[in-house]
Amino acid sequence: MARSSGYVRMLGLAVAGMLAVMACGQQGTGQQSQNLASDQTLKFPIGDDFATLDPAQVNAETDSEVAQNMFNGLVKFDNDLNVVPDIASAMPTISSDQLTYTFKLRNDVTFSNGDKVTSKDVLYSWNRAAATQGPYSTNLSAIAGFSNLSSKPPAPAQLEQLLAKNDPSVMMSGLSAPDPQTVVVKLAQPAGWFLSAVALESTTGMLVDQKVVATDPQNWWTKPETAIGTGSYKMSARTPGQSVEFEAVSNWWGSPKPTVKKVHLDIVKDAGARETSYEQGKYDLNGYGGYSNLQVDDILRIQGSSSLSKELKLQPKVRTTWASFNLTCDAARAAKGPFCDQNGSGAKDLRTAFALAVDKDKLVDVVCHKVVCIAATGGLISKGLKGYLGDGADPLAKFDATKAKSLLKSADPDGSKTKGMTYVYDPENPINATTAQFLQDQWQTNLGVHVDVQPESHSQFIRDRLSGKFVLSRDGWQADYDHPQDWFDNLFAKSAGCPDTNCTTGYNNPQFDALATQANSKPVSDAIPTYKQMSQMLVDSVAYIPLYYSVGAFMTKPYVKGAGTNNFFDYYWNQYQILQHS
Amino acid sequence: MTLGTLRYISQRLVLIVFTALAVSSVVFLGIHRLPGDAFVSERLRPSQEAALLHQYGLDRPLAVQYGDFITKLMLHGDLGESVANRGTKITPLVLREATVSAEIGAVALLFTVGLGMLFGVSAAIRQNTWTDYALSATSVVGYSMPNFVLASFLILLFGVWLEHITDGGFFYELGWTGTFGSPAEILVPAFALGFPYASIVARLTRASMLEVVRQDYIRTARAKGLVEQIVIVRHALRNALIPVVTILGPLVVGIITGSVVIENLFGIPGLGKEFVQSILNRDYNIVIGVFTGYAALVGLANLAVDLVYPLIDPRIRYG
Repeated sequence: MARSSGYVRMLGLAVAGMLAVMACGQQGTGQQSQNLASDQTLKFPIGDDFATLDPAQVNAETDSEVAQNMFNGLVKFDNDLNVVPDIASAMPTISSDQLTYTFKLRNDVTFSNGDKVTSKDVLYSWNRAAATQGPYSTNLSAIAGFSNLSSKPPAPAQLEQLLAKNDPSVMMSGLSAPDPQTVVVKLAQPAGWFLSAVALESTTGMLVDQKVVATDPQNWWTKPETAIGTGSYKMSARTPGQSVEFEAVSNWWGSPKPTVKKVHLDIVKDAGARETSYEQGKYDLNGYGGYSNLQVDDILRIQGSSSLSKELKLQPKVRTTWASFNLTCDAARAAKGPFCDQNGSGAKDLRTAFALAVDKDKLVDVVCHKVVCIAATGGLISKGLKGYLGDGADPLAKFDATKAKSLLKSADPDGSKTKGMTYVYDPENPINATTAQFLQDQWQTNLGVHVDVQPESHSQFIRDRLSGKFVLSRDGWQADYDHPQDWFDNLFAKSAGCPDTNCTTGYNNPQFDALATQANSKPVSDAIPTYKQMSQMLVDSVAYIPLYYSVGAFMTKPYVKGAGTNNFFDYYWNQYQILQHS
Repeated sequence: MTLGTLRYISQRLVLIVFTALAVSSVVFLGIHRLPGDAFVSERLRPSQEAALLHQYGLDRPLAVQYGDFITKLMLHGDLGESVANRGTKITPLVLREATVSAEIGAVALLFTVGLGMLFGVSAAIRQNTWTDYALSATSVVGYSMPNFVLASFLILLFGVWLEHITDGGFFYELGWTGTFGSPAEILVPAFALGFPYASIVARLTRASMLEVVRQDYIRTARAKGLVEQIVIVRHALRNALIPVVTILGPLVVGIITGSVVIENLFGIPGLGKEFVQSILNRDYNIVIGVFTGYAALVGLANLAVDLVYPLIDPRIRYG
């Protein structure tokens, strides 16, 4: 016993040692007070490092949610999604023909390095963004001269040289700066969506410092010394792949002045790890920064907890998911299939059969427990946005297995047309796989049609889908700004490339395009009836099967005041305050 | 250290470099064959995507891209830039993250060898007692349980339940601070990574010890009146370790590859964190960098294991 007790003692010492060392990681739970904490450092995790923070190239949601605190534009969206002045001192004056917008700039705006902002910075930033031809360059497409820019942009270094010389090949003729505080924008044609587009946070309407960008045209945003913007925060430290820190800009020109002095972001890939760390008290927020996809099981557990449930907010996000058909069979599209309008009226009946055969209410119960998604019953445009048709207004969202079977029988009596079909989806989001299996089951059970499901890696999936390779596929869109133009011009209209280029469905309707041109030229309040008419056209064409609207989950500690989110973006960091807590 | 040993180490290091180069070449060709690229997006028009591919030189013939890549790697040790996280240089990223992975792996190896030997020796010298049965059962559970299951259980036990029980007094906090982390952050993930292999070491050590302690020279040592501790440690253990060291090489590989899951679950910024996502993102340079980093780590770890042999068995000499 004496010999063995020595080894057992060693074991015991080892365990005790581990516990003692772990005690160094102790941390208390939060207690709320209404006084400001002395340490105004906000910490939260994001799931991946930035692709880019350059407003001319920003695409991913995370990049946008962070960059919105670093850069400003002439106008912005407030928390209630109204377009309000930002660097502009007031909303622009608009000419009676809706073609000329005159902006007056504030005279106290500076970049975080102290450089004063003038109208020349607006011209430089917008010309650069347009000429770069990034994902959101089309936000500036209403400006006269945009269409003359090359679709093959020069290399960043060459672009800077051309911009420095005001070379016409990279300048939009519709932009001018009569004096340092005035910017005049001439549009090629009236565009009621123009202000919404340039207000879009973090993207092409934002201003950058030419002097700084020119020092490293490709990677200026990657380092704290050169990641210069007009925002209330600037990058202060960065360890790629691990963490990034921002600090409040002292004497920032805007309001409210930031109370939180430092924002620390950790890159934590696993959603479960992010939530566990949040609940341990390591982070003040979770779900922010573009990662509101908490695991459903976690959300259900949190909802069952009396303490944690108070910290949870479920916010509809502006993303709709639907299933798309290939509507056009022509030489330019690889996909054929039985849903093409070229096949006659039976094709539309077939599409209707497939749409009505899916129980959308059961879908959202199965794939997301009605927590992180809700049934899409009001059209393609997400609930809460302009152009939403209304709860239950979309007939394609109904479930009617009897009618579906009857339509199938008339459209495909011998089953030959629907033989060998495949539904393609990208499996990187687990909900897509569950949805695919559910749809397969519904079509089998309610129609007697077997549809194979095929996963395809996201990168290739997007490319193939947009080039018209799929007969039946997962589809979706996340709105960039609250304007129906964002949906129709990017998905179904000729301006998107439909029917044959960059168009999943191959939708081809000249009347739809005509209405789009008409609606886009009007102020949004006047254009809504026309946009709703366009939504109805898509419904009448049975262009899609509506599935669900996404819901984001956000966790906020009770001592973080002012934090929150709307359908589109997290509230700006300068609105947050850290209250005292233990 | 003898001249022969130094020569041996040099030869192995050269071999590791060539192995890493070969791995990076194979991965380069493989990853570029995958359909899709890092820039595909619903918002990006084909012309815009083409412009980005051109900007990063990804529209050049594969042979040209490979020549450029291998030249930069061999002459400058430059693995290029990330295309998904633009502007991020791969070489410093891989070096930093490899350091983190090596740190976790080294502590995991300490658990593997330390706990494994402790369990194995204890079980052997107390054969057919409750100590033996308990430790053997623990070993069976250890190597039967996948490391991600163990990791999740440890997070629950030390991160969640312990926090609740002590009301936030002390618990394991997920995550990583700074470049080298802290002992509090390393221990639990290292244990999750190393314990399954410790169980294998324990079983092997027990079997080996049982054979050695029955040898005549052990009986002689006891007959000479030596204290049992000295008999076990100085006479029996060294010989019992030889088969254990033999399997350490594959165990180290298992620890390194097992870090992929562990680092993701514990939020540790090591190489494993990049592994899956970089492939899904078609971030070519990071994929190549991660695989190259792993190849180098495996090579260096196996070299370190091979250098342990002469310490245990003086008959083994290199060079």
